[in-house]
Amino acid sequence: MVYKMSEKPRVFVESLVITLFILMIGFSWGFYFENFRTNKVAESYKNYEIEALDLKLQNYYYQIMDQSSCKEAINQNFIFADNLYDTGLEIERAEEANQITEDIIREKRRHALLKTELWLNTILLKEKCNNPFDTVVYIFAHDPKNNAKVSEQKILSNVLKSVKEIKGNKIILIPIAGDMGLGAVDLQNRIYNITYFPSIIINEEVTLEGFHTIEEIEFYLRK
Amino acid sequence: MADFITGVYIALFFFGIFFIVIFILLHQRNKKYLFASPKPKRYYSVSFLVPAYNEEENIESTVNSIINLNYPKEKKEIIIINDGSKDNTLKIARQLEKKYKEVKVLDKLNSGKADSLNQAIKMARGELIAVTDADSYPEKNSLLRMVGHFDNEKIAAVTSRVLVKNKNNWLGKFQVLDYSIIAWTRKLLDFVDSVYVTNGPLSIYRKSVAKKIGGFDTKNLTEDIEITWHMLSEGYQTRMSYNAIVYTTVPENLNAWIKQRVRWNLGGLQTVKKYWRSMFKKGAFGYFVIPYVTSSFALAIIGFLLFARFLWIKGNYYIYSLFYAFQGYDYWRYIEFRISITILLILGITFFILAIIYYKIGFRNSQTGNKGILKILSYSIFYRTLYVIPLLIAIYKIFKGDIRWYTK
Repeated sequence: MVYKMSEKPRVFVESLVITLFILMIGFSWGFYFENFRTNKVAESYKNYEIEALDLKLQNYYYQIMDQSSCKEAINQNFIFADNLYDTGLEIERAEEANQITEDIIREKRRHALLKTELWLNTILLKEKCNNPFDTVVYIFAHDPKNNAKVSEQKILSNVLKSVKEIKGNKIILIPIAGDMGLGAVDLQNRIYNITYFPSIIINEEVTLEGFHTIEEIEFYLRK
Repeated sequence: MADFITGVYIALFFFGIFFIVIFILLHQRNKKYLFASPKPKRYYSVSFLVPAYNEEENIESTVNSIINLNYPKEKKEIIIINDGSKDNTLKIARQLEKKYKEVKVLDKLNSGKADSLNQAIKMARGELIAVTDADSYPEKNSLLRMVGHFDNEKIAAVTSRVLVKNKNNWLGKFQVLDYSIIAWTRKLLDFVDSVYVTNGPLSIYRKSVAKKIGGFDTKNLTEDIEITWHMLSEGYQTRMSYNAIVYTTVPENLNAWIKQRVRWNLGGLQTVKKYWRSMFKKGAFGYFVIPYVTSSFALAIIGFLLFARFLWIKGNYYIYSLFYAFQGYDYWRYIEFRISITILLILGITFFILAIIYYKIGFRNSQTGNKGILKILSYSIFYRTLYVIPLLIAIYKIFKGDIRWYTK
């Protein structure tokens, strides 16, 4: 039987081309899914932007007018807060998954501003409507520098999620990335003396640093 | 985010996929030549060197299998090298010497396998030298299927396909799969002139070349890898006869397996260190063998580090969760598993599927025959992961400068 060898250099070149092709397909799909996630978040931002403006105008209106419309205003705030919270979770997931694009950070910054605006709205609303609910603002680090911090934030985030599940429409939960170089957020950090991430601000009165149990957080809630 | 670690992952997958694609293409192009052997123009005289250290249980069977080889008797010579055995190896060897006139015994103080072989080469009369471990058993036609390669003057060494003799427990069964893949891969490397290991159980060397390059390196823990690299670096070629079969005894417990693999890794790393300067010189050896072997080591280490990092990051959360559990955190409530489609996931799955296809084809062409997906998965996920243990021990030993324990 004839003992034949393959054409040697050709097989390496062909393998290289095939590998680059596979890599290219991987990158294309990767970009597609990353853009899909980012676009989804960006799309929701567009909707929330209108909602936020609407809420702000409603708040002005309620402040000028009487308290009879408080119930409606509170309801609107809760819906908006819940939507923002869900999108926040989506952003976190997208941020974890996106490995080659950075657009999601821009969306995260936008949402941090929207949430800050929501917080200010709720402060005004509470003043006008006799504190009908509790506000829990969760300030966390956008890019925690070590595993311990990542774990602590994830754990506290889970605890707050449970508090929200227990309390339902008695509290508004607003998670905000506190270190994204945004003037409005930095200002709030200074006002509430936030020097440690993660921290919780309850009803603009109490600041808790780091991990706390459900019961400990509930202790500071009024509703 | 697109960071350094993501880049490392992508590089890892790139090289992993690249090598597998090379092998799959080589198989597709050359599958009809897998079992081909050139018919010898003449019968070369062959001296079998059988180094033996405490091999009283195996030596007789090994010599008998060489005696029974389908090859002219007058063209065979068998030299049993008793390397200072403390058991009855020498006594049995002497009996064999009396029984068969082609058997000779070289009795010497213990000095290791490489030195034993070098001493035996000096007294060997054959044109070719066949090295056979004392616990290995060449199949009847193996020699005949190997010697034809030596008709080509460029060929300095030819190696065989090693199959597992003892497959009594889970480790033996996994090694059957492992040896099948090793042999198949080596055969595919043959098609690009890159057979870089001539195994201990049965390999044949052209004596003139072996002598010219100074024989086996006594400082190397895997003298069979070193001599092959030495021959390749001198411009000679090596071949693998896939249809020349030799059965060998493999480690039956994990400790012995780790010890064997640590020696392989140490020897491999020693060899890379000795020849890395030939990288990107001297044809297939410099352009493929050295980069391939070096990157195989590097990829294994990087892969392990990435896996360890992944476990550390994931595990860290659960460890911290446990810590906070003592402070009232409901640990079990928040255990979650989430998977997102990412570029790394896509490349990882592609690599994994290609690896499975590669193993599947390999098994189909080997002793094991076609294997079900579960066996392939358990081999690739469980057994192949064990590879990292001896590699890490070998690296640790190199850093510590302690490789004496593995030398005789």
